[in-house]
Amino acid sequence: MNDQIIFEDVSKFYGEVLGVNRISLSIPPGITTLVGPNGSGKTTLMNLMTGLVRPSSGRISVLGLTPADATEFFSNVGYCTQFDSFPRGLTGWQFIYDSLMLHGISEIDAFGLTRESLDRVQLGDAAGRSIASYSKGMRQKIRLAQAIAHHPRVLVLDEPLNGLDPMARAESLALFEELGRQGMHLVISSHILDEVDRISDRVVLITGGYLIAEGNIHQVRQEVRDKPMQVLVRCDHPELLASKMFAVNHCVEARLHADGRGVFLRTGDIDQFYSLLNGIAVEGLIKIETVAPADDDANAIYQYLIGSNGSAS
Amino acid sequence: MSVYKHNYRAYTGRVTPLWTRVLVLARYGLAEVWSSKISIGLFTISLVPFLVFLVGIYLANNPIARLLITKGNSPGFAIDAGFFLKMLENQSWFALALASWIAPRLITFDLADNALPILLSHPISRFGYVLGKFIALFAALSLVTWIPSLMLFAYQGYSAPQPWAFANLPIAAGLLAGGVIWIVFLSILGLALSSWVKWRVVATGIIFAAVFVPAGVGGIVSAILRTKWGLLLNIPVMMTELWCRLLRAPDPMRPGQAIPTAAIAAMLLAACFICMGMLNKRIRAREVVRG
Repeated sequence: MNDQIIFEDVSKFYGEVLGVNRISLSIPPGITTLVGPNGSGKTTLMNLMTGLVRPSSGRISVLGLTPADATEFFSNVGYCTQFDSFPRGLTGWQFIYDSLMLHGISEIDAFGLTRESLDRVQLGDAAGRSIASYSKGMRQKIRLAQAIAHHPRVLVLDEPLNGLDPMARAESLALFEELGRQGMHLVISSHILDEVDRISDRVVLITGGYLIAEGNIHQVRQEVRDKPMQVLVRCDHPELLASKMFAVNHCVEARLHADGRGVFLRTGDIDQFYSLLNGIAVEGLIKIETVAPADDDANAIYQYLIGSNGSAS
Repeated sequence: MSVYKHNYRAYTGRVTPLWTRVLVLARYGLAEVWSSKISIGLFTISLVPFLVFLVGIYLANNPIARLLITKGNSPGFAIDAGFFLKMLENQSWFALALASWIAPRLITFDLADNALPILLSHPISRFGYVLGKFIALFAALSLVTWIPSLMLFAYQGYSAPQPWAFANLPIAAGLLAGGVIWIVFLSILGLALSSWVKWRVVATGIIFAAVFVPAGVGGIVSAILRTKWGLLLNIPVMMTELWCRLLRAPDPMRPGQAIPTAAIAAMLLAACFICMGMLNKRIRAREVVRG
């Protein structure tokens, strides 16, 4: 079985409205974050991935499977939609259990898997209550439990952190990280980029239905050559370090950290920058404590490539 | 970068056949039907004519009871195809009322709640989804149409002298076929119209309108063009004609006004195809359409 989610020149139009256009992607196991403004085509991409909509053109395969073989396909794919919607009148337990029955899982196995997934999202105590009485965070969790209950190999999560309090958000992120490390495909769209960024292996940037960039976050950042990279250097003499760095052409900006114990430096040539920093450290005049990239995260990439107005730059 | 241990295991246990998954949705649907007090009320009321007809059969077959309530040598009434036709006609109105109440509950709630993406992200097709809802509606409507009709037929067969049941088996077949044709048509019509309206009450009204408004239009067409074919838009008349033929009961239409059975069948089939087209258009998992 192929272990990739593959989009080959995929387009989707809703009548005359563009969903996504000519997307070619190959997503390996691990955690992939879909980033883009509202209406950029993220949900369309997820619906295509989960077989809920058919592409107008192009071909999609998920682990070598297509929705034509529904039983095999959907047993490998779990989808947590962004909409706070459920069939009416169900308890949390019934929702998961019936979902497993719809997957064709036998009653005995469904019983065990329901309990396991509810425990995993820590909703075991509320399982007997009607979903209508759940808080927004609990409803988000029960959707997640439904998506993972049948042990899919691909988990597609549309805004899974919406409505969760910080504690529940941290628990969810830990769960995603654990599933990703176990070799599962997780495709997450989220507006909470700072938190998702910490666990993501890859980022897919999309806007206006077009793919803007994809790949490892750090690699993507380095590809954005027209935006100088920002590095935070913690040291005992930040002013001195800034003056030394400004002696070279590629350093274009320096900003002292608010606590006076570090400096943000922006450089157009990151390789030369690190080489120079090595030299300064060896001199011993400045005691360098830490060096860390300050803008090679999904948030910064989003800002650089898509911008605050949502259009690709 | 993650370190892939690849110790995650997908479910590899036994899976049930596809048709059993449709029954899960049918179970959802039936639970939805019985959760409404109005549904239960309509079911209860629909039992009243059944009981009246049951008493009628009892009286017709019990000479002592008949003597007590009839005067002189009045023959009373006959339990024949016409008797069962009346029963089927009565119950068909209850079926219409129930369908217009239940069908919107089965579909419009899912549409209004945006629950389709969750349901359709399972190995169940759009056809399977509609089939599950159809089974729920069909089962509910069966309880007020052909099932009570056949129960009355069985009671009459039990009460009457032995040869009656065998001699009148076509009535039983007609009751079954007539009831099933009506509720299949009502179910498809109800689900299709409900799928286009997100407000349940409006959907209920539209289902009633779909039965009666074309009948009025058909009447106007018949009057203006002086033709009988306008009756093809009159669903109650069309169904009565069909039931008469299925039960072999006397035709109430004037000579020359009768509509051929093939034309009725073609009309019902055309209506069902249109409804299926409507369902195909509306039952989709699409969540977001960018404007």
